[in-house]
Amino acid sequence: MILNTTILSWVTFIYFGSATFYIFKMVTGREFWGSLASIIAFIGLIAETVGLILRWFESYKMGIGHAPLSNLYESLIFFSWTIVLLYLIIEWRIKSRNLGAFVIPFAFLSMAFASFSPNVNARIQPLIPALQSNWLISHVVTCFFGYAALTIACGLGFMYLLKGLEKRERPRLFFRLLPSREIVDELTYHSVVIGFIFLTLGIITGSVWAYSAWGSYWSWDPKETWSLITWFIYAAMLHSRFVRGWRGKRMAIMSIIGFASVLFTYFGVNYLPGLHSYF
Amino acid sequence: MPLKMKKIFLSFFSSLKLTIILLIIIAVASILGTIIPQQYGGGESFRHLSPGLFKVFNSLQLFDMYHSVWFIILMGLLSLNLIVCSLDRFPASWKLFRAIPSPDRSKPFENLSPNRILIIEKDRNEVIESVKNILTKRYKRIRRKDADSITFFYGEKGAYSNFGVYIMHLSILIVVTGAIIGSLLGFEAFVNIVEGESTNTVHLVRQKGVKKLDFTVRCDKFSISFYDNGMPKEYLSNLSFIKDNNVILQGPLLVNHPITFNGIRFYQASYGSTPGGQASITVTRNNKEKNTLKVNQRDSFYLKEKNTKVKILRIEKNLMSMGPAMLINIQSPEGNMRFWVFKHIDKIKDRIPGLFEKVPKFNPGRFKPYCFKLDRIESNYYTGLQLSHDPGVVIVAIGSIFIILGLFITFFSSHKRLWVRVDDQEGKSRISVGATSNKDPVGLKREVEHFLRHFKKG
Repeated sequence: MILNTTILSWVTFIYFGSATFYIFKMVTGREFWGSLASIIAFIGLIAETVGLILRWFESYKMGIGHAPLSNLYESLIFFSWTIVLLYLIIEWRIKSRNLGAFVIPFAFLSMAFASFSPNVNARIQPLIPALQSNWLISHVVTCFFGYAALTIACGLGFMYLLKGLEKRERPRLFFRLLPSREIVDELTYHSVVIGFIFLTLGIITGSVWAYSAWGSYWSWDPKETWSLITWFIYAAMLHSRFVRGWRGKRMAIMSIIGFASVLFTYFGVNYLPGLHSYF
Repeated sequence: MPLKMKKIFLSFFSSLKLTIILLIIIAVASILGTIIPQQYGGGESFRHLSPGLFKVFNSLQLFDMYHSVWFIILMGLLSLNLIVCSLDRFPASWKLFRAIPSPDRSKPFENLSPNRILIIEKDRNEVIESVKNILTKRYKRIRRKDADSITFFYGEKGAYSNFGVYIMHLSILIVVTGAIIGSLLGFEAFVNIVEGESTNTVHLVRQKGVKKLDFTVRCDKFSISFYDNGMPKEYLSNLSFIKDNNVILQGPLLVNHPITFNGIRFYQASYGSTPGGQASITVTRNNKEKNTLKVNQRDSFYLKEKNTKVKILRIEKNLMSMGPAMLINIQSPEGNMRFWVFKHIDKIKDRIPGLFEKVPKFNPGRFKPYCFKLDRIESNYYTGLQLSHDPGVVIVAIGSIFIILGLFITFFSSHKRLWVRVDDQEGKSRISVGATSNKDPVGLKREVEHFLRHFKKG
């Protein structure tokens, strides 16, 4: 096995550990587990960064050098990388470790899918002609930062709904540790805004690329169409908040629906005929 | 339009409910479009499965849904909704932008939290002076009002943030306009050109017929290269653009690197090879007289013996995975003889002992005293070009840039207004800061803290 894939498959276990400790923290209420989870997540992020950079180097050594963003395996790795990076920034900003249990599992799942699924090829492959473009990096990076922010919004949505199950009298420790609904709602909104902006940038960079590769900036390819559907869902969500003042439960549900659409844009489209067949 | 109808029209098209319903319908329709095959001829397999359903789908234009009348109407309604909504709300935003509230309003100071009030051991006039300085440095449209023993200030920043959403909506409409211009005045087409050939006729997409270009495109050469693992590395067409028998432009066309000529962009879209290309064969007579010649499918030639005609019936790139082969027919006074000539006949013979006894049809020396040999098949590649002429693309690009700008203004700026009151408090000066913001309450808090920090320092 090549070094980068070895490191990256170890990262899968590191994130699993981190996710487990974040959940420990929520169950026991002890800050120790939270700190441990954060440190492990940070170590995982650094290891993953090293793995990605190594992979980049190795591709150059093979004479087919390109950024490690070119197939399903690499995109899954990068997806988890963006999730953990964004999450740690948020954790540092809000100074609370209670969100980790709802976000880091997504990063773990993405890594696990990349490392263990028989359908995902971990080999470094050369770029086919359609992918040989300067727009590859900007398109993939913007899309996946968007996906990551929307993943976090979905985690927050689950958190909000869970908080709703809290009993009025003598709530369990787990529920008490969840941040107040107002804070979760506010965080969901901010994550969706970040995700929406990156999604927009991803669609725009994608259509610039399509214009130079396929001859049309928009050709209703299933992936394009689904990204637009996703964009519509989040646009509707933001409008209902701004214009109608929707808050709370409705936002939480919409962030989960939106994320389902993100997932379909990412994976489901592979089962439909179209041009985006590389991911 | 009568007033009442106008009102109904306005309230219908300016409602968010309509937006949401339209978005849902468009989303559902788009999902349908990703399931039902949309490419040209995509409906064909459907026709066989269920002719009745095919008829219904076809009449609803479901096989070319994104260009169907009803889908365009939906998009039109959404645009109209966007326009009416924006026009409906714009005056209020404009008012908010223009209005400068009086500095001595009492509302901003109601229920003021204690950390927005600061008592300083300084002379009131000195404090007023520094309030004025800070406001003029960092805020706009400052107003001042002096009462008996109280001085009021007003200042604001980020008033433009009220327009972020309009910039966003307008730029979406710009993109839509660009798309409409592109679809009305532009065209998309494709053409396959065999190596060495040229054409000036291209096929418009969506079966809109053919189009004659006022120049000719020639494909001088097409080549593919592969990586070591067999994946394609590069598709390359060498094209010449010819006008009035003069080559005006020559260049290599690669995927991701289109060539523009006469306002038309050419893209490397596909490739292929023409069926039954030219074959090079060697005919040997009595093991000595050798003749090499080039033949095409259905060509025929005569052998030395009179009335003996050889006809090339088929040329196959790979017959039953035994490599290139051709089927020939020899017509002589004795009758017709038909057999296959393989390129790799020696290898095949080695693999299957006694081949010619078992399958006489594979014996290239069947017609004595001749022996035929297939040297190679000349591969006749054609390049598949995609053409597009889209005058709307510049407008779409401008719209996209403004979408990004609008997003940033909408989400990362806010209209912050500060009311500052300075009065005497038992010989000391008291500053109270009231503030509002159209969004971003966190940023507003930071703003006020930042303002008050100037006075805490001393």
